[in-house]
Amino acid sequence: MPLGNLLGFVETNTMTLWGRYFCFAIAAIGIDLIWGYTGVLSMTQAFFFCLGAYGIGMYMTLSNLPEGHQLPAFMEWNQVTELPTFWAPFSSFPLAFILSLLVPALFSLIFGFFVFRSRIQGVYFAIITQALALAMFLLFSRNETMLGGTNGLTDFKYLLGFDLRETSTKLGLYFLSFIVLCLIYIYSSFLTKSKFGKGLVAIRDSESRMRFTGYGVSAYKITIFMIGSVIAAIGGMLYLPQTGIITPGRMDVQASIEMIVWVALGGRGNLKGAVLGAIVVNLLYSIFTSILPGGWLYVLGGLFVITVLYLDKGMIGLFQQIQAYIKTFFASDKNNKEAEDVENEVINVSA
Amino acid sequence: MLKSKLLFLTLILGTLSFTAYSFEKTVENSVQTILSNNKTELDSAVNFLVETKTPHTYALIGAVLEKRLYVKGTKAYTLFPGIKSYYEVYPEFKEAESDVAGITPLKLSRKYILKFRPLSKYTQLYTPVAQSKLNAYQRFKQSGTLEDVAFLTEQLKTESDEKVKAAGNEAIYTIWLLSGNEQLEMNALAQLGEGASDQMLDPLEQYLKKKENAPQDQSYILASELISTIQARERFINTAQNLFSGISLGSILLLVALGLGIIYGLAGVINMSHGEFLMIGAYTTYVIQQCFISYLPASWFEGYFWVSLPLSFITAGLIGLLIERLIIRHLYNKPLESLLGTWGLSLIMIQICRSIFGDITAVKSPELLSGGIEVMDGLILPFNRLFIIGLTVFMGVLTYIVFFKSRLGVKIRAVTQNRNMSACLGISTKRIDAMTFFLGSGLAGIAGCAMTLIGNVVPNMGKTYIVDSFLIVVVGGVGKLVGIIASAMGVGVLSKIFESFYEAVYGKVIMLAIIIFFLQFKPKGLFPDKGRLSEE
Repeated sequence: MPLGNLLGFVETNTMTLWGRYFCFAIAAIGIDLIWGYTGVLSMTQAFFFCLGAYGIGMYMTLSNLPEGHQLPAFMEWNQVTELPTFWAPFSSFPLAFILSLLVPALFSLIFGFFVFRSRIQGVYFAIITQALALAMFLLFSRNETMLGGTNGLTDFKYLLGFDLRETSTKLGLYFLSFIVLCLIYIYSSFLTKSKFGKGLVAIRDSESRMRFTGYGVSAYKITIFMIGSVIAAIGGMLYLPQTGIITPGRMDVQASIEMIVWVALGGRGNLKGAVLGAIVVNLLYSIFTSILPGGWLYVLGGLFVITVLYLDKGMIGLFQQIQAYIKTFFASDKNNKEAEDVENEVINVSA
Repeated sequence: MLKSKLLFLTLILGTLSFTAYSFEKTVENSVQTILSNNKTELDSAVNFLVETKTPHTYALIGAVLEKRLYVKGTKAYTLFPGIKSYYEVYPEFKEAESDVAGITPLKLSRKYILKFRPLSKYTQLYTPVAQSKLNAYQRFKQSGTLEDVAFLTEQLKTESDEKVKAAGNEAIYTIWLLSGNEQLEMNALAQLGEGASDQMLDPLEQYLKKKENAPQDQSYILASELISTIQARERFINTAQNLFSGISLGSILLLVALGLGIIYGLAGVINMSHGEFLMIGAYTTYVIQQCFISYLPASWFEGYFWVSLPLSFITAGLIGLLIERLIIRHLYNKPLESLLGTWGLSLIMIQICRSIFGDITAVKSPELLSGGIEVMDGLILPFNRLFIIGLTVFMGVLTYIVFFKSRLGVKIRAVTQNRNMSACLGISTKRIDAMTFFLGSGLAGIAGCAMTLIGNVVPNMGKTYIVDSFLIVVVGGVGKLVGIIASAMGVGVLSKIFESFYEAVYGKVIMLAIIIFFLQFKPKGLFPDKGRLSEE
């Protein structure tokens, strides 16, 4: 971990960058639970990520108001005289904290209820959620929604009394993100090993059999959709103080699909893969945008194509394939056959 | 009632002609003083003309005010913006004879122009341009007084343009309506009747405000009835306009969604890069336009669009074919993977396009498609949108014929239903896949070409339509031609209607809510498969 080098070698900026990657990794775990384990492709996770970020952002906007001002600057520009009622609870941190988690949870509950109840699945679900992402992006971009329009929320200096520009605060946020990532990873791996988790995998592999066996498939799906959304929101809540700005651009259709590619590239159905994918893609992004600004979209597009064409199980799967290949290569004839079987099994699972 | 009106008119006209007669001599003198630019008497001549307010000098004064006065002998001329030939303004107002040689411009100093300015209300009526006349009459609605009525009536006697005549009459009625004379007010209301234009809304509302304390009056009731008639007509026009633009939006969506739906039905591939074929079609049009500008004579320019239409189909189709062979072929029946892969593909295509063409370009519509049909007062159907609708109908019928009446269509449908069985029966599924991709991408290319008529050409233009098109496919049912057509029109029209009630964004949110609600009852689309086919 880079924090060992922190005291001397690594710059503070690099550290914050990694702190952000951890937030993305948190969201990626949420996607992996929904998509990798349950087989439901939700293309609106960036929206939930942003809901968390906006929740904390609203609290920070209100607590960071310049002296003598009753309202955030963008509201004054829009000739708003009173704080809209839905902003009011965000002036206290505990309430803002709870709401940042509660709003995405409730939203996904209601949306999930209607969508899963009518058994919209597979591609249909993907398209509907994509439309939702688009609609929400447009809605948040409006000035009338009182969330800062396209400029989003920004200009924060303090969080709970800590100065965000201080190195120690940045360090603290970095550690916090890392710890939360670990906790969520542990929770998720516990979840996937539980009976509930096995049920999710069963839904992915054969939904109708699961339904006919008497399981409430919709309830499973709604629950995991909620869990995934809340996890994404937690990522967003940690993300905001480290970036200092949240705009609707973070929740457009492209952002959600990118998040999915993190998971696809890392290896879906594997929590390590999700974390790995999120970090690798964002690392590549940082590298490429600084070296070759115009080239990033080619790289990203290429990653999409290569992932779906060749890396069915992602990078994690690639390691396993290579491992299996090496095993085959060195093993005797008898073992060779066994290894092939193992390999075949791997392929069968992937298919 | 009518009698008293006539009496009033004759009275005013009489006085007017009397004054005109008695000052005739001096008016003539004053005009000639101005035309000869006699500096010593100019002051009194201008003052005299301003005081007497003689209608037949108004055209001349108008020319002075516009600083476009020309003189030849005892006659004065002017030029109107946008019209090449001269107009005689004094002694008569008419188009000048062809011989205007030796004409010289005459500029009066600012002092005199300012003196004439109060008369501009009247002088603006002296123009051959109907639109300017309309505007001039509009001005009388705001500033006209009872004294102007006689002048206006006189003017309207010689007016031949129906529209201008109506506007002039309405100007008179407005003056009456706001005159405070109950007789005249009733007169105006009676005359206005059903035909009152939407321009009368303001004066009528003003009138109602004035009469607020007597809402039982017959005139009050009459006026509010008129207002509601006008408003009802406005609402009708708005609805019709929205319906029309909704249908044209629906047709573009339909062209995109047709290809999308057919491909998804056939190959189980969600082609997120489908919108980029629209972009390719639009850029093909752009490139062809540039070629016409640089390599062909200017008179041929009009033809570029008709060349682009088939070419954009072919270009988009070929690129679609290429991409199918290279990438999408490996993603058959893996909808979610294909969704991600083709999204990546679309990113690459957009970026390539951006690096070649830059951020924004526009295509000039051909002359033939500019303008529109005026169906009724205030309701104009633009030709370019009509053309798009026509094109969509044509392509829709063509697709239908190919799909249901040709051998290729039978094969496509067979592969869609059961790929393995079709292959067993000797259908080359590879060929069918390729053909379907060619057709589907080509349809999007045509949509792109049509898009250039109503919007800019930008690299990410396809992204705007792709989500909506997918929603259409979801609502219509995968691989169902009729379903896609019905839902494209439904989504197009509904979203335009919601946009007119609310902001565009809320329209979109409501649309989405409706679709989710709809899928509660019809999760497989409008026309779901029945029986064994419905399993998967």
